[in-house]
Amino acid sequence: MSVTRDEVLRIARLAELDVDDDTLPELAEQMSRILDYVAQLSAVPANGAMKGFVPGPDAIRFRPDEVYPQPLAFGPDEFAPAFKEGFFVVPRLDQFE
Amino acid sequence: MSDAPAKAVADRLLKVKRLNALLTPPKDLRKSLGAQAAAARPTGVLYGMPIAVKDNICTLEFTTSCGSRILEGYRSPYDATAVARLKAAGALIAGKTNCDEFAMGSSTEHSAYGRVIHPLDKTRVPGGSSGGSAALVAAGAVPAALGSDTGGSVRQPASFCGVVGIKPTYGRVSRYGLVAFGSSLDQIGVLGRSVHDAARVLSVISGRDPRDATCEDRDPLRLPTVPESLQGFVVGLPREYFPSELDPAVRRACERAVRMMKEQGAAVREVSLPHTPYAVPAYYVLAPAEASSNLARFDGVRYGPRFNGAADLRALYRSTRGQGFGAEVRRRILVGTYVLSAGYYDAYYRRAQQMRALIAQDFRNVFDRGVDLLFTPTTPTPAFKAGEKLSDPVSMYLSDIFTVTANLAGLPAISLPIGRVKGLPIGGQLIGQAFLEEEMLEAAYALERVVPATDEA
Repeated sequence: MSVTRDEVLRIARLAELDVDDDTLPELAEQMSRILDYVAQLSAVPANGAMKGFVPGPDAIRFRPDEVYPQPLAFGPDEFAPAFKEGFFVVPRLDQFE
Repeated sequence: MSDAPAKAVADRLLKVKRLNALLTPPKDLRKSLGAQAAAARPTGVLYGMPIAVKDNICTLEFTTSCGSRILEGYRSPYDATAVARLKAAGALIAGKTNCDEFAMGSSTEHSAYGRVIHPLDKTRVPGGSSGGSAALVAAGAVPAALGSDTGGSVRQPASFCGVVGIKPTYGRVSRYGLVAFGSSLDQIGVLGRSVHDAARVLSVISGRDPRDATCEDRDPLRLPTVPESLQGFVVGLPREYFPSELDPAVRRACERAVRMMKEQGAAVREVSLPHTPYAVPAYYVLAPAEASSNLARFDGVRYGPRFNGAADLRALYRSTRGQGFGAEVRRRILVGTYVLSAGYYDAYYRRAQQMRALIAQDFRNVFDRGVDLLFTPTTPTPAFKAGEKLSDPVSMYLSDIFTVTANLAGLPAISLPIGRVKGLPIGGQLIGQAFLEEEMLEAAYALERVVPATDEA
């Protein structure tokens, strides 16, 4: 499985991640190596009906439908990069993709 | 409590500064320890016990950066449930420990704040990702520390540093306040100088928590008594964990430990977990897939610094994430996004999920046939040299080969020192049945008592 430079860029766009040109060849090579390695999973016959396994409780427990006070010692204005009058401040979204 | 114990704790931690294991600045550490000591509850079962906490577990007192630039200086507005329980038991939170960024790594070289030094050999790694926690315990700076274990991140550094590391059953300890990496795999674990120290801390942090829906509705773990012998225990040795290429010293140490378990009365039998060879490939599909989703929240909008200059929102996301995440985290986000993307989901993610089910079934088959516990090496080799595996991610991933299966199957496991090779510690691993930590700890107590943990194998 060889991942091309264009595929890395496409995936990086999906992941909202800037990747600089200098690291692209190495990244493509390492991703290819990782995907080659995990591809050995295909050696095991696929079973479409078989379910995956997730540990933990079999069913989600429901809590009483009550409003609890926020257990926060301080609000987002103290840890957000930009916060004003109850809102996170961000630059304008130029265009939808 | 007077100021003296808090001062002594801070002094001990700052004495091993050369290890780069603690991220909390000395001034903050001294100030907070003094305040905590004054407020600590004298009737608590851990009264006065200093416990360091991995930097991906939220604490009110100290910043929680997850070893990343993207959360540099971030202060959580709440304590993780595990931390709140330690405080309620009278423990002193002894600062935040360095780790691989977002717990992704096996050497603690992938931290934005520099690598952690192995306490016994400065040219080697302490393991990871909870390398800072392991190094501090091994150096004698604290009797115990919290870590997190997604694929072996408590047990592998415990093995490399010669301390005890416990990963509880998935759902035994609340994940509330543990910054998520692989939500179906992550568990908070404990590193300690001895089985008893680690178990004592585990019993305090375990138990139901309405803030985590994946935490089981169970009472806290009861501390087992130290057994007279291992009479009545059936211990399985999975042949897939003793391959021909296993480091000879690791093999010798394991064989010696097995001999001692037999002398203690345990019945030992060889067993097979046939899907083990596929565990690391399955893990390195599932964990990055979950990570790519979990780490989507770090975008320069809600937490941490913003790396920009960008006038557009998407450019802000991309520049912050591109500059804020380190190389290994970027790589895993990309692999995770790739295996979840249209056209590849069935080939990678679905197959890995199915493989996970087969691996969990392997364990059930063995336990259903009367085996109580499994014994394996924790790692294929002792601590490796710094830089040795950095350029080859797959080679780094393979150091988790004996630990990832317990995470995939959600089982409890403990690593304890069973010998040394050229002065470097070797760990042995006991894997127990889900929610039977007490049995696993009993066997660990018995083994710890007889195994010459610091003798050459």
